[in-house]
Amino acid sequence: MSEVAFTLNGRAWSGTVPEGTTLAELLREDVGLTGTKIACAEGTCGSCTVLVDGRAVLSCILLAPQAEGCEVTTIEGLGDEGSLSSLQRAFVEEDALQCGFCTGGQVVSATALLAANPHPTRDQVRYAMSGNLCRCGAYPGIERAVLRAAEETSA
Amino acid sequence: MAKLQKTSVEMEGRYEDRWVLVEDEPPAWEDERELSVAGTRVARLTGPRRVSGAARYVSDVTLPAMLQAVVVRSPHAHATVELDIDAARAVPGVHAVLSAADGGVTQGENPIFTSEPAFAGAPVAALACEDDVSARAALAALAPRYAQLGFVVDPARALAEQRFQEDPVEDESGDVEAGMAAADAIVEAEYSTSAQVQHALEPHCAVAQWLGDELHVHVSTQGIWDARAQLARAFGLDPDRVHVTCEYMGGGFGAKQGPTTEGLIAAYLSRAAAGRAVRVFNDRRSEAVATGHRAQTQQRYRIGATKDGALTAIELTSVIANPMRGWINPTTIPARTLYRCANVRAQAIPLRIDVEPSNAFRAPGIMEGTFGYESALDELAALLEMDPLDLRRANDVDVDQVSGMPYSAKNLSACIDRAAELAGWAGRDALRDREHADGRQRGLGAACQIWWGGGGPPAHALVRMGHDGLVTVVTGAQDIGTGVTTAFAMVAAEELGLPLERVRVEVGSTRYGVFAPVSGGSQTMPSVAPAVRSAAFDLKGKLLELAGDVFEVSPDDLLIVDGEFVSLDGALREPVTEVTGKLGQAQLVGTGSRGPNPDGMRVNTFGCQVAQVAVDVATGEITVERIVAVHDIGRVISPLQARSQVEGGVLQGLGFALMEQRIVDPTTGTVVNANLEDYKLPTHADCPEIVVDFIDKPDPNASSLGLKGLGEPPIVPTAPAIANAVFHATGVRVRSSPITRRRFLEERAR
Amino acid sequence: MSTYVRPESLDEALALLAGGGAHALAGGTDLVPLQARGKAAGPLVDVRGLLSDGIEPAGDGIVIGAAARVADVASDARIADRYAVLAQAAGQAASPQLRNQGTVAGNLAQHVRCWYFRHPDLTCWLNGGDTCYAQIGEHEKHGLEPGDCISVAPSDLAGALLALGARVRVTAVAGQRTLPLEELYARPSEDHRSAVQLAPGELITAVELPAPPDASAYERAGERAAWSFALTGIAAARFGDDVRLAAIGLTNEPRLLAPADPLAGLPGLEQTGWKRELAGVLCERALGRVARPS
Repeated sequence: MSEVAFTLNGRAWSGTVPEGTTLAELLREDVGLTGTKIACAEGTCGSCTVLVDGRAVLSCILLAPQAEGCEVTTIEGLGDEGSLSSLQRAFVEEDALQCGFCTGGQVVSATALLAANPHPTRDQVRYAMSGNLCRCGAYPGIERAVLRAAEETSA
Repeated sequence: MAKLQKTSVEMEGRYEDRWVLVEDEPPAWEDERELSVAGTRVARLTGPRRVSGAARYVSDVTLPAMLQAVVVRSPHAHATVELDIDAARAVPGVHAVLSAADGGVTQGENPIFTSEPAFAGAPVAALACEDDVSARAALAALAPRYAQLGFVVDPARALAEQRFQEDPVEDESGDVEAGMAAADAIVEAEYSTSAQVQHALEPHCAVAQWLGDELHVHVSTQGIWDARAQLARAFGLDPDRVHVTCEYMGGGFGAKQGPTTEGLIAAYLSRAAAGRAVRVFNDRRSEAVATGHRAQTQQRYRIGATKDGALTAIELTSVIANPMRGWINPTTIPARTLYRCANVRAQAIPLRIDVEPSNAFRAPGIMEGTFGYESALDELAALLEMDPLDLRRANDVDVDQVSGMPYSAKNLSACIDRAAELAGWAGRDALRDREHADGRQRGLGAACQIWWGGGGPPAHALVRMGHDGLVTVVTGAQDIGTGVTTAFAMVAAEELGLPLERVRVEVGSTRYGVFAPVSGGSQTMPSVAPAVRSAAFDLKGKLLELAGDVFEVSPDDLLIVDGEFVSLDGALREPVTEVTGKLGQAQLVGTGSRGPNPDGMRVNTFGCQVAQVAVDVATGEITVERIVAVHDIGRVISPLQARSQVEGGVLQGLGFALMEQRIVDPTTGTVVNANLEDYKLPTHADCPEIVVDFIDKPDPNASSLGLKGLGEPPIVPTAPAIANAVFHATGVRVRSSPITRRRFLEERAR
Repeated sequence: MSTYVRPESLDEALALLAGGGAHALAGGTDLVPLQARGKAAGPLVDVRGLLSDGIEPAGDGIVIGAAARVADVASDARIADRYAVLAQAAGQAASPQLRNQGTVAGNLAQHVRCWYFRHPDLTCWLNGGDTCYAQIGEHEKHGLEPGDCISVAPSDLAGALLALGARVRVTAVAGQRTLPLEELYARPSEDHRSAVQLAPGELITAVELPAPPDASAYERAGERAAWSFALTGIAAARFGDDVRLAAIGLTNEPRLLAPADPLAGLPGLEQTGWKRELAGVLCERALGRVARPS
């Protein structure tokens, strides 16, 4: 077992997890934050993307103790159903999702992108988001949503 | 009035006469009626829940004391296996072990577990364990011992050995020899398509639990009612003792039918574990090797035409590797129905190879067949020195070439014209001949599409209203990501004269007892939306009756407009709640169903797509810059979600065209790219500009809403449009999908 | 699942690694999924916090700490300005999240991407078995020369750093050494089934960039527009009249090529002839991009 302590969506979290537990498993099973999805479990699809110290990373291949002492932000930490972030609102308005399974990861990656680059070009969005696969094909909507959120922020 | 009626029912091109329960249908919305909600831009109702991580998907469901299932799969293409079942059962924390030794563990007629696995990935056992530690110990104790046997994974060898899954089928009409003799030009070519894996991002998953003699199953499925029926059959239960729930699910694309193998395994394990809840959650590898794929095909065409482009004869042989059992993927249908041709001979050869059987993947058969046929027609156009779109226009036809029945409505020519205009088709040779600053060669290519998508009965809905004047639409459909729930709400709001905010929709549970069909074959909207309208119409009639009583006017003199009762003379204007407020806790309920399709007609969808590509000829890098997609699906209820459907279909078609292929190792018979690193799905960076447009004209013969389905149509023509664009840009004709760098460079060198 | 250990000091880490069998864990993007497939067994020793992640000027060059993220290399203005080939290679490696997580040392020491090597149900020659399944199977993405193993070098950074003439600092209980990057790699052998030539217990601590070249460029081909391991990556750097050309994706190890005849001695295999052609075009383009302006 490993002891882990970190900041999760602004609050301290600590606990003990079995050897080999990934951050994604910890979030889903120990904390109950199921907005972080496991779709490939090997770091290839981006559905499990969370922010660790502000960087978008793949929680399905990050061992839980590797997050020790870090600031972890999940999709739930970005805005809830009743108080969506401007980016989440743009996702809804541009229909930037279909089944929605990858959407949490998409929103997290886009949040990191806009934090680093508040006014990305279309191509910058396309490449910065390329680690978040969407099988339904919501890419055009996601592009529109990210660009819309960027525009609204500057307005 | 509910009645039983015998009518023709279609599912992905299979027609059968069946008794269905139908109720009276309201008259069509008159064309001149001003619609206030239908056809407007409405954000998906489930959006806020999905973008905030709050939506609870099947894979998020946890129940008290839930056990984890481990499915043991054969690593070999063909082998016998021995297992130490008793040793595995004895491991602490192991609550159930199932294998071929357990009788009656079946999916339909077939045992789920086998002692002679016939493909790598075939389930040989499943265990229900408390945690990872007990699971690992149980796997060690189970100690599978395999003795390998011979296998065939190469379709060419299977063909040579005549390993048929079913008997080959030949369809013939007219006189092909005479047609060929009448031709001024004959094109002859062979095309192949690779196996494409659905790879929904939510893996197949289920949670099952027995509560006494009731079975509760959460399953990621496209068909909760099929799940219910098959689970009931598997356990000999009254279907009402089976409750299937699928509130949110993460994509299916054809691969998640009925209870799915995973749902059945969960239910069997739960029964063996004294009813404790059991979760099955596939890993990505299992998704790639054991949950289905689009079958690999090889298609040989001979097509004759006169010099003005009229098709005189088509001869085609289509070899399909591991088609679904009991249904040969309709790869020959595009050649037989997309354009006019009186003389057609089409042979389909279903082969059996030792990989998992294929299953449905968005437009199964049709999409592969369209790749071959629309590529071949492009070659024919080149041979005739004709504009490829003019060749298509020259062969447009209003009558189904197989049944001889007229189409209920067909606007393919309008799709072609609109797509050509939006894509700048007239300037395509100028685009090709120009030198581009980036050194790439550019070109345009087009392809057309036919698909069914008419929907039909049986499909039911219920619409209820409480004292607060809020409406809930209830139907036993499931939202697999298409946004149908939003469209249902729009239809109900439109019919009831209520603002959309007053309508919510509940889907995804068989407990409502409101039957709706499987989400497949592009039939959810055309089947269920008319039922929703019908139910709303029924509710409206009841509401107006009540209002007539309350306001002492004739119900016939009342309308509901924007949430208010309005009399025709304008004298009365009262909010709906003035009446519903008197309901207390009672609910006013309207019911409705989908009526039959018109007799003697075929209800189909059509479309045309044009692709623009840029090719780095020396490195074989192909970039799709733009896809123009124009489809004819009758009335469009929710344009925002309809656009998303098209964009999604185009992207899956683009993946099929350029990068997706499941690769089976010839030496071991196992899939080498059973993951999302080696199996390439398109990324954001591969996404072209996608221009979406609809003809958006209600089909006067297709239900009271005049709408047809959109799930399949957009994926169908994308790949051949891209292949044709690559040819136009470079003169290199790649006849195999996906058109990888290797295939392009090798073909170019030829 | 393997044991995870987070030592307090570098000495403690080196002692844990000394026996061999344990793996140094930094970003974990290679090791964690590999272990999940039953490969690269052994305890994971988390060294990320013990190694520098800085990117600092040193003399005429730059020293990059082993724990610097690939994304940091890609976005560093000084690197982009003076070592374009490295910024370009780092910016195209893997996916954005993997670049955020993966470190420079981990990228250099990563395992090959061969789908037989990573196949959970097979043990190939490189994994200690007898058979190179790729040679008798599906190898269209593999190397251009025959051998016991035909997998190819996956690290974009390695190609770029090789062209730049970078050196690598390595440490172990026994002491430290600094070696030219080309010596970090060799074709795997019967006794050493890896192209990475670290001795058991050795740890990469930093990469030293020499004085910047006059021009440098990276040409890369993937299987899709982004998030694809390189089919091949060709790095070129010109120092005065001297051009260094390096390739990944063509041979077991990242390899320096002769600018005059880059693909000499690399015949291509049954299914990789197309790749040879592709590499030839990319070599030409990379050389063209660094050519002295006439």
